[in-house]
Amino acid sequence: MTLLLVAIGFLALLGLGAGLVWLIRETQNFAAGVASTQQVRLETSQVLNLIQDAETGQRGYLLTGDEHYLTPYRSALAALPRELPMLTDRVIRDGGIRDALQELQALSEQKLAELRETLDLVTSGNRDAALALVQTGRGEAIMDRIRDTLAGIESRSLARLEARRQGLDLAARSLLLGAAGAFGLIALVATGSTALAFRYARDLEQARAEVEAVNARLEERVAERTAALEAAHEEVQRFAHIISHDLRAPLVNVMGFTTELEAAVASLREMLTTVEAAAPELVTAAAKEAAEADIPEAIGFIRSSTQRMDRLINAILRLSREGRRNLVPEPVQMNELVGGIASSVRHQLEEAGGEIRIEGKLPDLVTDRIAAEQIFGNLIDNAVKYLDPDRPGRILVRGHTIGRRAVFEVEDNGRGIDPQDHARIFEPFRRSGAQDRPGEGIGLAYVQALARRLGGDVTLESTPGCGSVFRVALPLTARPVEAGIAAVLAGAAPGERR
Amino acid sequence: MNTAAQAVTIVMIEDDEGHARLIQKNLKRAGVFNEVKHFVSGTEGVEYLLGPGREKHRPLLVLLDLNLPDMSGIDILTRIKDDEILRLAPVIVLTTTDDEREIRRCYELGCNVYITKPVNYETFAQAVRQLGLFLAVIQVPPAP
Repeated sequence: MTLLLVAIGFLALLGLGAGLVWLIRETQNFAAGVASTQQVRLETSQVLNLIQDAETGQRGYLLTGDEHYLTPYRSALAALPRELPMLTDRVIRDGGIRDALQELQALSEQKLAELRETLDLVTSGNRDAALALVQTGRGEAIMDRIRDTLAGIESRSLARLEARRQGLDLAARSLLLGAAGAFGLIALVATGSTALAFRYARDLEQARAEVEAVNARLEERVAERTAALEAAHEEVQRFAHIISHDLRAPLVNVMGFTTELEAAVASLREMLTTVEAAAPELVTAAAKEAAEADIPEAIGFIRSSTQRMDRLINAILRLSREGRRNLVPEPVQMNELVGGIASSVRHQLEEAGGEIRIEGKLPDLVTDRIAAEQIFGNLIDNAVKYLDPDRPGRILVRGHTIGRRAVFEVEDNGRGIDPQDHARIFEPFRRSGAQDRPGEGIGLAYVQALARRLGGDVTLESTPGCGSVFRVALPLTARPVEAGIAAVLAGAAPGERR
Repeated sequence: MNTAAQAVTIVMIEDDEGHARLIQKNLKRAGVFNEVKHFVSGTEGVEYLLGPGREKHRPLLVLLDLNLPDMSGIDILTRIKDDEILRLAPVIVLTTTDDEREIRRCYELGCNVYITKPVNYETFAQAVRQLGLFLAVIQVPPAP
């Protein structure tokens, strides 16, 4: 829009310029016309003068017979052949027509012929005949026609001048009008541009205000959401806390009375043995089996289930507590930290012919030491726990820096994890593969939650039967993320996983 | 248990009947034969301890569970410790909660002993028996 207006303004200026150039040329033309008319007039009077001079000379000679009076006649006679073409030239250049000039030429020749005739008569001594010739009025009539013709030439030249003047006038007026129009247009364009600029500025201001308002609303909403999330987080933790205690209370009973029952059955079994020794016929096979096999078996199941339940509840309880723990970043020498964890499992590994090694220098971090210990503790414990018994275990830990993150890899040659379980095992209470190792399925969920709270993440690459690589990306300098619900749900304890 | 302690009544506020039974069994096994008054709700317990018809001139020891359905054990503890007479009575908190903040809170309010009920029964039984042994040696302030 603005561009269009500028283009219009520019075109108007261009038109104005062109108009001015045109006017200047018109003025030049007019000036030339004035000069040319002037010259035509000058030349006509010159020609008239010459012819009159010639006539005057003739009259003087006629009256006096003195040769002396013939001088003007002679000079006019000499000048006319020069002046007449000059006049013709001027008139043609002035844009006049040749007709009048041809007529003038003819008339001047007639006049000169008449003059010569009278003079010739005087020279031959026939002065009366000459006077009679003059008295016929023929010469006078020719002279009158010459004057008329010259006057006609002059007046036509003046008319042309007038036409030119009017043309110039028109040009000037139209240019003035054009200029006024152009100025009007430019003024309009300027006003339009200014108005547009104002409108743009106003729109911009309005848009800025809107953006600010939206921002403010957004911030408000973020604050609301954060508060809601924190409340939800707090609620989940409280919930986990209460639930785990309420679940614990009946467990105390189940465990307690199971033990009481066991003790009671023990005394019954003792009695049964005594009775059997004294009177074998009183003891039925069923009673014997119940006391010696069925009841202990039932008690065994109740106990193991209760213990498992207890471990799960403890995991939830720990999770609710861990979610609340503040992470405190501090400089951590990772080789030292991972080395400490490695040495705690090295003995066990070497007994079975395996090894654990840290390859090269691990990037040092500014992070929460306990969280880092728990992350690598869980990963290394897992690696040890799920080694393939058919080959000597080999666990490698290495790390490198990418930008502002450190990437650590814990690689094992263990039994590996089925690809369909790769995402699942990071969920709490989920495990993969043969359930032949102790654990609640908390460890990896915990690792993931901790890594995320530290601003990083954990990923997995694994081929069943070949081994796994757990990759932990952590910021070189941790800015702990507020504990989310995921952290609560996953934040269980070290030493338990998959 | 020393003779003075023989007269001590143990007021047990415990909503879980099973827990109460297990506690009593194990106290007996530890040789504690004092009278045990058992209340399954906070309201009843508070009524007995602080109500208008409360029995006076009797040394008391309170065994308190924190997770009660009708009121918080912490409230009961606060009211006992706010009471002119009862505040001297030892209060033993015996509960499933092992939250550090909860434990600190109870001690701040004047609880004398805080014991967490272990799920493992052997540990539980042992804890109660040790409590019984403890009861056998502590002195409870006589009734005013």
